[in-house]
Amino acid sequence: MTKPVQAINRYKADLREMFFLLFEQFRVNEVLGKAPYEAWGEEEVKTTLQEVYRWVREVTGPLNVVGDTHGCKLEGGRVITPPGFKDAWKQLYEAGWNSIGVSPDYGGAGSPAAVQALVLELLAGSNAAFAMYPGLAHGAAEVIQHFGTPEQKKLYCERMYSGKWGGTMCLTEPHAGTDVGSAKTTAKKNADGSYTITGTKIFISGGDHDLAENVIHLVLARVDGAPAGTKGLTLFIVPRVRTSEDGTLGQTNDVAVGALEHKMGINGSATCVLVFGENEKCVGWPVGGEEKINQGMAQMFKMMNTARIAVGVQGFAVASTAYLNALEYARERKQGSSITHWKDATAPRVPIMQHADVRRMLLDMKARVEGLRALAVKLAFHQDQVRVHSGKDEAQVAYHQGQVDLLVPLVKSYGSDQGFRVCETAIQTYGGAGYTRDYPVEQYCRDAKIFSIYEGTNHIQAMDLVGRKLGQAGGANLQSFLGDVAKFVAAHSGHATLGPAVKALGAAQEAVGGSAMRLLMWFQSGQLALVPLAANRFLEMMSELTVAWLLLQGAVIAEEARAKVDAAHPDHAFYTGKVQAALYFTRNVLPGVTHKAELMGAEDKTAIDIPDAAFATV
Amino acid sequence: MKILVPLKRVADPDNANKVKVNGGKLETTGLEWKPNPFDEYAVETALRLTENGTNPKARQGEVVVVTFGPKDTETTLRAALATGADRAIRVDAADDALDGDLVARALKALVEKEKPDLVLLGKQAVDGDSNQVGQLLAEYLGWPQATFAGSIQSEDDKSLVVGREVDGGTLKVRVTLPAVVSVDLRIVAPNSVRGKHTPPTHAYADGVRFAALMAIMAAKKKPLAEVKLADLASDTALKIKYTGFELPPARKAGIKVKAVSELVDKLKNEAKVV
Repeated sequence: MTKPVQAINRYKADLREMFFLLFEQFRVNEVLGKAPYEAWGEEEVKTTLQEVYRWVREVTGPLNVVGDTHGCKLEGGRVITPPGFKDAWKQLYEAGWNSIGVSPDYGGAGSPAAVQALVLELLAGSNAAFAMYPGLAHGAAEVIQHFGTPEQKKLYCERMYSGKWGGTMCLTEPHAGTDVGSAKTTAKKNADGSYTITGTKIFISGGDHDLAENVIHLVLARVDGAPAGTKGLTLFIVPRVRTSEDGTLGQTNDVAVGALEHKMGINGSATCVLVFGENEKCVGWPVGGEEKINQGMAQMFKMMNTARIAVGVQGFAVASTAYLNALEYARERKQGSSITHWKDATAPRVPIMQHADVRRMLLDMKARVEGLRALAVKLAFHQDQVRVHSGKDEAQVAYHQGQVDLLVPLVKSYGSDQGFRVCETAIQTYGGAGYTRDYPVEQYCRDAKIFSIYEGTNHIQAMDLVGRKLGQAGGANLQSFLGDVAKFVAAHSGHATLGPAVKALGAAQEAVGGSAMRLLMWFQSGQLALVPLAANRFLEMMSELTVAWLLLQGAVIAEEARAKVDAAHPDHAFYTGKVQAALYFTRNVLPGVTHKAELMGAEDKTAIDIPDAAFATV
Repeated sequence: MKILVPLKRVADPDNANKVKVNGGKLETTGLEWKPNPFDEYAVETALRLTENGTNPKARQGEVVVVTFGPKDTETTLRAALATGADRAIRVDAADDALDGDLVARALKALVEKEKPDLVLLGKQAVDGDSNQVGQLLAEYLGWPQATFAGSIQSEDDKSLVVGREVDGGTLKVRVTLPAVVSVDLRIVAPNSVRGKHTPPTHAYADGVRFAALMAIMAAKKKPLAEVKLADLASDTALKIKYTGFELPPARKAGIKVKAVSELVDKLKNEAKVV
């Protein structure tokens, strides 16, 4: 018998840090109150984040361990979500948090993307598994909003944004995971313009649930006679229950849940095998109508971009609460005496925070979490700038959109990789206690592992970066990025306290620029085999450069602000923390960038050269 | 029904930054503020009395929130507006230029102007814990009062049945309106407040409601008036004089006793409690 779990909240967030990023570092105030964010002011932003934080601590936070323990169940062909999820879903949509960034045309509040990203942090950090259901419904609705016919938008968007209906994205098949182009699901045209869908999709998050009255699947399928590979894929709208044009529910649509996966983490999220058209009665409609046949991948990329950013946010969201929990534990747990009294057995026991290696772990987590958050907010900042300049200044739009495109693989990969590692460090900080279910960090660690795998594995992200993004716009996006870093270095390398760190940033910037050239040379000289070997390493280098830059940018601001604050004011300690985190990262992580550039230069191919049989003789 | 709810902001007791004492004065730099919880319960109660719980967006009365303080206390008022209050008034005053009696006298003048049917407020603020304003206000107005309300029933517009939290149980009283009612913790239980618009089968969520996003956005557009303290009270002198502040002494470490007999001995002869 399973021990009954107590629904208690363990979630912690740092609103002061969020406000710093929004109002001091990325100066979101400059876009507030102006088109398209007329309705938003600083007070609305702050109140919203405070209220969401209050809400998640009372509603989704306590359900995190409940979802993990109970998991989802398949009963009578339908998924039953963990106890409490239904009510949380209802409350979430009544409060409107999930549609904060949605256009008011579709019932949303039209917030800046930067605010939306931090609301997502609170939702995903308090309960990563729960947050996936509304997150996917949102992503699917966005695709229909961007590519759907007017009738499709009218029927689906507002219902999906408001939580009346859920949504999923169905790409993966048993034979088509990363290789999505080999998908076998077929679509056969019917006389009425609809298509009969037949096939099996796996690993479908929220593939079915009891939270909403309907689930709208976006399914990649191949129309009869379409070309092989990704070029022949079309995206179909496939509702679980068919509906009339006014949204009235009709008969079921022959979409069956074949099975639920048993997973390492995010157990509250139903990961389904979906069987479409077992009885040849599953119909779907191409997103955007007949003229959008075979354009499924491009459309799906829209959703994947949103989803990839969201996964990066999940990464640091879970890592952040892992860090803050570990910090609380380290402040309270007494063990051992100070190293200065190591010979004295009667010396008073001190909180483990007083031990050097625990402090190192705490600061390591702090620097990474804050760096990742800054990276995600920077991406959102560029998204907001695109919207602000749209239709007015096309050069600005191109610049900011270019930075968004460039940063997406960084946010997704580095956010998820480092997020997981922070969770692991959090367990280490606790010691044995962290390995038990009495504390939340082991769940955080299990939940966080999937982030580097789904929505395109982190290697796919790295290949996207080196294969597509570096050369995008003739390399202009990368040049602008490197130029922005160089400008910061030039402006602050003489800084009284941060100068040496800024100079180190300059060295790392050169190493990243040089390595990008090396990748280009490999492409041009036909040494393609080296590219996938080095892609992850390059993504990491570029991410570490970006994070160090953003931490230093924050530190420069914090140094200036600290000088104006009374030493007794808590902001004084806050700003000091920003500076210390930046110094730690630039001294302990950033130097690795130049080292990694040297490793790339060595062009090591042992992983390719080793014969298959040599890996092991068993 | 028109309800006036006086609110106070207090230093957030859950925040790591606590009130400090500096040279016999309170140091409030860097404190995080939040509404006094009992006042939040009063706002929740007022909303429940002026709506149909099954359709809370259609208001069935008016809730006016009022606070005393500097400009930044408007955040507290906006938060109340975001949860559903209809209108707000800030009485401009410095934090340290107020005491319970002055607030009660100024509220009296405000009540005479606003003419609410009911003044609902928290039984006390969790900073000073004075527990005075409600009682003083009722006296100055000459209105009936019911303090420490754990339940309220409103059947008509003429009176309320209030369950008062008293030692050993609940004392039910009927108060004629207009009246002053101060509320206690249990007032926000799912069935504590029975407004006449809400069907008896409706159960509220436990506690204070959350502000919805659209309500936060709309709060900016709700009226927030500013009034000068001197316009409400001709005499703004304080009756309470603060001569000094000090933190409670730190607790001394305990001792371990070796045997029960020693414990009994100490309780008898040292603590003299048995």
